[in-house]
Amino acid sequence: MLVTALLSGLVLGGTYALVAMGLTLQYGIARIMNLAYGEVVIAAAFLAYTLFTAWGISPVAGLLIAAPAGFALGYVIYGVMMRPLVARAWDKASLEIDSILATFGLLFVIQGVLLVVFGANFTSYSYLNVAVNVLGTTLAANRLLAFVLAAVFAGGLYLLLTRTLWGTALRAVSVAPGSAPLVGIDVDRAARMAFALGGALAAAGGVVISMYQTFTATSGVVFTMKALIVVIMGGVGNILGALSAGLILGVVETFVATYLDPGLTLAATYAIFLVVLLWRPSGLFGRIAR
Amino acid sequence: MLEVSNLSLHYGRHIALHQLSLKVGKGETVVILGANGAGKSSLLKSIAGLTKPDAGALISFDKRVITGTPAHDVLEAGIALVPEGRGVFGDLTVEENLALGAYAKRARQGARDRQDFVYSLFSKLRDRRSQYVNTMSGGEQQMVAIGRALMSKPDLLMLDEPSLGLAPVVVGELFASLARIKAAGLALLIVEQNVKMTLSIADRGYLAEAGRITGEGTAQALMSDAAVQRAFLGAAN
Ligand SMILES: Nc1ncnc2c1ncn2[C@@H]1O[C@H](COP(=O)(O)OP(=O)(O)O)[C@@H](O)[C@H]1O
Ligand SMILES: [Mg+2]
Repeated sequence: MLVTALLSGLVLGGTYALVAMGLTLQYGIARIMNLAYGEVVIAAAFLAYTLFTAWGISPVAGLLIAAPAGFALGYVIYGVMMRPLVARAWDKASLEIDSILATFGLLFVIQGVLLVVFGANFTSYSYLNVAVNVLGTTLAANRLLAFVLAAVFAGGLYLLLTRTLWGTALRAVSVAPGSAPLVGIDVDRAARMAFALGGALAAAGGVVISMYQTFTATSGVVFTMKALIVVIMGGVGNILGALSAGLILGVVETFVATYLDPGLTLAATYAIFLVVLLWRPSGLFGRIAR
Repeated sequence: MLEVSNLSLHYGRHIALHQLSLKVGKGETVVILGANGAGKSSLLKSIAGLTKPDAGALISFDKRVITGTPAHDVLEAGIALVPEGRGVFGDLTVEENLALGAYAKRARQGARDRQDFVYSLFSKLRDRRSQYVNTMSGGEQQMVAIGRALMSKPDLLMLDEPSLGLAPVVVGELFASLARIKAAGLALLIVEQNVKMTLSIADRGYLAEAGRITGEGTAQALMSDAAVQRAFLGAAN
């Protein structure tokens, strides 16, 4: 029971972490608070669903389509919608307000399209739905795969940001945007890349979620909220922070649902959030782009 | 090499720079002296592309017009700025700061040699290369800022009050390093309050006052100039 709950919690937490890493890039580097983030997650879930049910393309192959598509979508959205806001923003706070308003609108546009195309029903498909033995307990293979994929993406992103000059430049923009031009970094371009990379991670998260969870055209907001909680808990812009915070949140939610009451899951989520916000407003691990 | 003419700049209704002109020759060390608020930082920022000057200004570097060019492209043209307050990436390590210094396309080649030069100039940085910069002293952070600027392979290095807030002994080391950078062939444009030390390594200087250039001369002439002595060198009467 305990091991089962822990494993389910880690799987869920891995997904939260994966989804949150994209948001932490968009918020921490591009400084855009993207309320439509969860809609991109759900759009990718529907994409994976369609690829699988209509053409028999496995979600793992679907990732190779969804992630670049998410990148392209983020790239275009930044260029068309966000750049004008960035250009006219007086400071960080005014950009935050403008981006919240603009992406709030975008949320309903994407959601509306999804509702028209896919309807409001709960959607899921059956992929790798076989039990495998892990640490003496059983776990659906699709969940195990979801966890592995989350780990691969997290590891890849971490290496990209810390071991390459390009990634180091993105972190430099995150910690000191005013100084970045002094070393020849085009901050606008870096922000656009970070936003697009966030879109790719949102899409990857959506595909992974669709492998083992039921979703609807309107469930995007749940993922935006949870990703936001994880981002704040982990420290804005902090990749390892998002990873740890995502895992913590997944495990806590699963334990509360298993041992207390499934109805208390959301309450527990927000309780953690409030505690962090009140005691460690810069996150459990600080606002350090490491 | 650097030619600035008719440079004006205003913040709202406040005029910070007024039709200012100056030159820096190849490999020359030029100092700008002036009281707080004279517009020295605004001048360096305008050259670096961090602020947009009023229409009519002409800034050219190596015969190339760079007026209105964004800061990251000015760096590519060969001008690096060590700003007032240093502008280091405090949450990154020394090594990461230096690596980012070579982020510009012009700087990718030969980055290793330049890093060796920086480490030979500031040997402390070599020992501290994995330290986070915001945990370092002011003098060490200034070394990081200068080292990072050198990594971009500049032809002209601009420094905005590099000795500000540093202990006297550290200031001495700083100017010794600047002399070595000058000896390596770079042109330097230095804004300083520490007039005596700066004039001792400078070739030429300008006096700035309320957004205008009010005087210029060789370093030697400025050193013995009565007005300069009164204003900056603390001479009696
Ligand atoms: N961002 C700004 N907004 C408004 N006024 C400014 C700004 N930066 C500088 N100033 C004003 O412009 C004048 C010149 O400032 P500055 O270039 O920093 O002088 P210095 O570096 O010689 O001390 C000062 O009066 C200062 O108050
Ligand atoms: Mg100044």
